[in-house]
Amino acid sequence: MFSITAACDEMIDRQGRVRTPWMPIMGAAREIGPAELERRGAALNRQIALAAPFGQPPRFTADPLPAPLTATEFATLEAGIKQRARLLSAALEDLYGPQTLLHGGHLPPALVLGDRHFLRPMHTRAPLPRPRLSLYAADVVRTPEGGFALLADHTGMIPGLGLALNLRRWSSGTVPELFRAGGLRSLRPAREMLVDHLHREAEGGIVAVLSAGSANGAEHDTVDDALLARALGLMLIEPGDLATRNGALHMKTLSGLLHVSTLLRGISGIDIDPLEQGGRPGLGIPGAFGAIRAGVLEMLNAPGSALLESAPLKPYLAALFPALLTESPLLPDAQEDARHTASKAPFAHGQGFIPLPMSFRLFAWHDGAEWQVLPGGLGMALAPAPHGPAPGTKDVWVLDAEEPRFIAGAAPAEPPERVKFLAAAHLPSRLADNLFWLGRSVERLEAACRLLMLALPRLESGTSLPRDIAERALLARCLAQAGLLPPEIATASISGRLLRQTLARRRPLAGLLKEVGRLVDASSERLSPSMLSTVRFALHQATEALPNEETALPTMLNFTATFAGIAAENMSREGGWLFLEMGRRLERGESMAEALALLLDAPPERLEPGMGLSIELADSVLSYDLRHAGILAPGPVLSMLLADLANPRALGFQAAALRACLERLGADDDAATAHQLMQDILNLAGQVRQLRAPLNGVATSLRALSDRVHHRFFTLLPEAHALDDDELLEAAQ
Amino acid sequence: MTRYRLHHATTYEYESPVVLGTHFMHLLPRARPGQAVVEAELAILPGPDSRRDEIDHFGNPTTTVSLTGAHKQFAVTLDATIDVSPPQPPAAEDTPRWEAITARALQDADVAEFCLTSKLTRFHNEIADYAALSFLPGRKILDGLIELNSRLYTEMSYVPGVTTNASTALHAYKTRIGVCQDYAHFMLACLRALGLPGRYVSGYLRTLPPPGQVKRRGADQSHAWIGAWCGPETGWVDFDPTNNLIVADEHVTLAWGRDFADVSPLRGIILGGGRHIVRVGVDLEPVLT
Repeated sequence: MFSITAACDEMIDRQGRVRTPWMPIMGAAREIGPAELERRGAALNRQIALAAPFGQPPRFTADPLPAPLTATEFATLEAGIKQRARLLSAALEDLYGPQTLLHGGHLPPALVLGDRHFLRPMHTRAPLPRPRLSLYAADVVRTPEGGFALLADHTGMIPGLGLALNLRRWSSGTVPELFRAGGLRSLRPAREMLVDHLHREAEGGIVAVLSAGSANGAEHDTVDDALLARALGLMLIEPGDLATRNGALHMKTLSGLLHVSTLLRGISGIDIDPLEQGGRPGLGIPGAFGAIRAGVLEMLNAPGSALLESAPLKPYLAALFPALLTESPLLPDAQEDARHTASKAPFAHGQGFIPLPMSFRLFAWHDGAEWQVLPGGLGMALAPAPHGPAPGTKDVWVLDAEEPRFIAGAAPAEPPERVKFLAAAHLPSRLADNLFWLGRSVERLEAACRLLMLALPRLESGTSLPRDIAERALLARCLAQAGLLPPEIATASISGRLLRQTLARRRPLAGLLKEVGRLVDASSERLSPSMLSTVRFALHQATEALPNEETALPTMLNFTATFAGIAAENMSREGGWLFLEMGRRLERGESMAEALALLLDAPPERLEPGMGLSIELADSVLSYDLRHAGILAPGPVLSMLLADLANPRALGFQAAALRACLERLGADDDAATAHQLMQDILNLAGQVRQLRAPLNGVATSLRALSDRVHHRFFTLLPEAHALDDDELLEAAQ
Repeated sequence: MTRYRLHHATTYEYESPVVLGTHFMHLLPRARPGQAVVEAELAILPGPDSRRDEIDHFGNPTTTVSLTGAHKQFAVTLDATIDVSPPQPPAAEDTPRWEAITARALQDADVAEFCLTSKLTRFHNEIADYAALSFLPGRKILDGLIELNSRLYTEMSYVPGVTTNASTALHAYKTRIGVCQDYAHFMLACLRALGLPGRYVSGYLRTLPPPGQVKRRGADQSHAWIGAWCGPETGWVDFDPTNNLIVADEHVTLAWGRDFADVSPLRGIILGGGRHIVRVGVDLEPVLT
């Protein structure tokens, strides 16, 4: 049933038998069955794509089956990797310090000094307070002779560590049958040791993952940065979140500047410090090199450590063992053709498997005393599957010393994820800003959909009854106000057909959806994976439904309802939620006040059509009918639309909610403004005539409050620019 | 021995306040064979909230400051006393053939990087051909250097204000105009195109020439010239192509690197500030001892 060939020498031994570690894995695969396994693989990758931040597609295809290593194999690799890490660490300290390797002729000087990753600003007389190499990854292959050989070193940014720490959690959810066998070393103790070590070294300062972020992900996989931050419970920050003050790094947060002491680096060392290295100021952190040299900032790894990844340098490295460690290497360098002769493992392909040569990427970190190797890693296909998408990647399992055994009942290999929503005080200003606009844009989308749901049937079944004409005129004005119709055609004579044509041509909903999608991506690091995947799925459905006139609006409202439900039920009421909520309430208040100003702009005797539309627009038909038996009268209508603080669509409710958020954030003066606005709205409910001006006044006050929130919480320092010394030169001459 | 008093003041005036400024400077003079720094002080106004004085990869002193309070003016003033003893370049015939230098330099950890091209001194065939005219096979290194120095002086036109600190050696080769920095980059590109080590030297030239001599180009300001390595025995000899001089006792060295970018005197990243003007004043006077 499976197209397995005997060439898979990870799985098949020389006698043609399935090797013991693979037996329970292939047993589970057989039990699941080929069609179901294909579906599980697809589900796994869909889950990863939905959980991946920034809306970027992952650069790999996750394979549903793991690559097991026996305890003995891992012990061999562990010793070799620790030794290699010690060698590379010693080489880096020397090349960025006394350079005895260059003076002693162990390495050709021009090869080191001419490499673009040799960063002169990091060359110091004295060693840095912390090792330059603290994280390391090795790509190894199993050779035809059966031993392991080193294919590549990763000493700069560490690609795939985030994935390696997350992949098992995903596959244990999608392919739980695999985990019944147990006998597998958990990644959790190692991960917790690493986290503890990082926090201990930081001595109370912030530890964060530094990423180029959504804006810029050329060289390094920013998705992996986000996964790493999540797995380690660290903040994910971008250069724009940081500023150098008093010679140390600080993060701009809502509560001011917080000292950052440790950064896991997801940006090339070449771009890290525009002050000393040049380059665009926004791409890096001016003054970062100085802070590292002074020991007030640690980067993992130190800038310039990618030097040892240099291909021309690699052949010389193994020869350094006697000089630097007085040891001989445990892990030999792979031969030139290693990528082709590496052992093959079965990768899922359609409803079967395809044997592909594979490398193991194993990760190590220095815990202050010695190197530790993660008992897991990534099994990476060295060749793409024919017609396959991105190269396949497996979770590497390290088995316990005893033989694998079956344990009854599913036991998840990893504990549930801990997503920490940090308190507002620690929220980077950039994220608060994004969440605020996300709240606004989802609400804007919802308001547009509600208005169209109200308008389309009425414009289509147009009669010449005076009430219908009045309704159409009012709706046309509301549509123009909301930017859904050009003002010049927004008259009572507008037809449903013309509105549809205008929408099809101008595509305002597509624009709103796109903006929501952009902001979901930009805020994704603060939305839990399950929230994110639900929201993305609903957003995807809404985008798909867009061309279909019948289902577009309901599907979009379905999305906004999903979003609101998730925000209400899945987000802690601290931090980010407060900004999402403020954005939503400000937008709803503004659009509601503006719509009511148009709909209720009539003398009491001609108020009925407008009141009817207002009640429908505010989704309050049922409540109104229940309370007032459907008889429209200005008093009860205004009371329900303006003053009912239990009605989440009433104008007064928005002001009250804003006040609560602002109080929680300690913005007492702005909270007082919101409170005053609520009083004004409550007073309006007793007024039946001339509502237009005061309602427009409410909208204006809400806009002013929005500006103040923006100024108070998000206005960052002005943009950095380089003081060019061109002028200096000219002035001198 | 000549004792010099050096004064170098740079003042930035900003249109609107700068709220945060980080500056990285190569403005304290280094010691070198033939040059002793008796005293040197770099004063920064307004007072920075952090200042670090360090030594860079090339052995040059650097100063990093950060200024946090809002300020509309930023002033850096160097005052130093420096003793200069004229180095004695050997007779040209006593120096090695230039080919011996190229072979040797790449193996020397202290010299190798100065053979490599840099962003502002990239390799170009036409520059290599131009340089080769002064380095015929078997020629003594110092002979070649003296001739190249003099060719640049003759064939380049000294025109301030037409080039920037990002102008390349190729630009100088093609246009044959520029200032001291362009002369230096052009000469470095020539040397490196042949595999010869050369370094960019920034510093100052005495304001008034010795009695009876013409006023030099590049006095009253930051100046630049080049150093060329003439083998382990002779070491580095400096040439000033802008003035057709072998550097002796009229120059004070500030710093050296591969090109201007390694020793830019004052770099900064500021927040705010709007437009700005900058004033620079340099004075290098011999002191009677």
